[in-house]
Amino acid sequence: MDAASVASQFAHDLIPACAGVGLRFRHHQEVVEEQPVAAWFEVHTENYMGGGSAPAYLDAIRRDYPISLHGVGLSLGSAEGIDVRHLESVRDVMKRVEPGLVSEHLSWSLSDGVYLADLLPLPMTEEALSIVCTNVDRTQTYLQRRISLENPSSYLRFRHSTIPEWEFLAEVARRTGCGILCDVNNIYVSASNHGWDALTYLEALPPESVTEVHLAGHSIRQLDQGQIIRIDDHGSRVAPPVWDLFELALKRFGPVPTLVEWDTDVPALEVLMEEAAIAEIAIERQRNDNLCAHAA
Amino acid sequence: MTTCAPTLLELQCAVRRDLLGLSDGDASGYVVPDGLAPQARLAIYRNTANSTLLTALRLTYPAVQALVGSEFFEGAARLFIEQHPPLNAQLDSYGATFPDFLAQMPEAASLIYLPDTARLEWAVNEALHAPDAKPLDLRRLEQLDAADMHVVRFLPSPAARVLESPFPVDAIWHAVLSRDDSALANINLSADPVCLYIHRGPSGVEVNRMAEGQCRFTAALIAGRPLHDALVDVPDAETSVWLAHLLASGCFVDIRLSNEASSQTIGRQVT
Repeated sequence: MDAASVASQFAHDLIPACAGVGLRFRHHQEVVEEQPVAAWFEVHTENYMGGGSAPAYLDAIRRDYPISLHGVGLSLGSAEGIDVRHLESVRDVMKRVEPGLVSEHLSWSLSDGVYLADLLPLPMTEEALSIVCTNVDRTQTYLQRRISLENPSSYLRFRHSTIPEWEFLAEVARRTGCGILCDVNNIYVSASNHGWDALTYLEALPPESVTEVHLAGHSIRQLDQGQIIRIDDHGSRVAPPVWDLFELALKRFGPVPTLVEWDTDVPALEVLMEEAAIAEIAIERQRNDNLCAHAA
Repeated sequence: MTTCAPTLLELQCAVRRDLLGLSDGDASGYVVPDGLAPQARLAIYRNTANSTLLTALRLTYPAVQALVGSEFFEGAARLFIEQHPPLNAQLDSYGATFPDFLAQMPEAASLIYLPDTARLEWAVNEALHAPDAKPLDLRRLEQLDAADMHVVRFLPSPAARVLESPFPVDAIWHAVLSRDDSALANINLSADPVCLYIHRGPSGVEVNRMAEGQCRFTAALIAGRPLHDALVDVPDAETSVWLAHLLASGCFVDIRLSNEASSQTIGRQVT
């Protein structure tokens, strides 16, 4: 293979610093048949474990697009450690897909052999930090590659937490060398729910560790006592204040692969493409700003 | 109220018990109230988890849901989720025991065919998500000598199943999913039992009805009984046709001589 084709293969495998789209089952056939102009796609790793039509579609799509794998089931925050069988399944999907990025969450879901089907929050303690780092280390060693860790959206905090979440995440990246998947919507949701300053969160994340950004819609729930809580349900367009925060994230991190996620009431692919186009304009603007700053 | 700081293990145990509804208020002492009761905060996670699992069950059991109605299905599913939470994050494999759960629900007892319809849906779900496997290369059979023919057995595809039921569950399943009310009305529950061959072909999962002898023959081969023994057990003129049908449908992935250990573990369900 000559240098040009090596370079082209390499570029095909990498996730470009452009806006991508979360690929969901209902869009499989459309993507294969119509080959929309999308820079890359991201899928949930757990949806492609096993055989049948879903991984077959992904094989076909992978021939034309870079793919990022985003897991929800490794439970990197479990005190009991990693479920090795699940890790094996992740590795099998990875071998098949040859993804440009592999990511998971700063959260936990497994306890005493039971899978609690949500991304549960961790207490921000030295003990939890040490456990997460051990689990991330084991995962990266087993998979033989760097993974990125996503900041969660959360609806509760634990009394005995001693470390701000943004410092916790930055420290996991520092100790393990993992990347950070900065979910801007999650920062907005958690900051709003807990009274944090979203900018403080963004500014605590080391730009060199940020491998990807996520954007999604969230909902606002009015509770019985009149309080408002924001729920990260991935069921609507990205909210205007999240777009504003995304601009600030781009200023800090530079152009990075950015994904628009939509998981509840998934709309037509063109709606997702429209959201990705808005993100792409912001990324391009940041790229131009960087070039101008460099020229000056 | 819990006051001293728990270890991560203790905290996760308490939250798990709380989310599963095992011990009310166990984890709330660890949660900052901050304008909203800890139990209300924990309930947000409990609701999300339940809703995810309910969706997984709805996707696997659409015919059951259509037969019992959305409201009853949701009630049964919520009870099932509480008593049988998933053991791993692969939700395609969640709900294997839901048919047995339905079978012991007195409220569902009047629908005597419901558990077997659910069993069919589970078999279809398993066939849908089973690992990909190359069908047996028939040249492997050419390599056998005459003595081997007495001990050769087949390794089944992970996507092949046999299911028997005293009710015409395939007809019920098909009529319900295609919303064919007249077909559903014409189903005779006291007709002969059915035996079904469920497998994944190039165009998706197929459910084919088999005759009684064909069923015994197919089930024996899928269970790993040597071909010679299966032919002796079911002395029928049609066995070669049945075998050709199984081979053509990709039912087997390899052969073994019965004195050889299987080199792979293949899940199968023969009831």
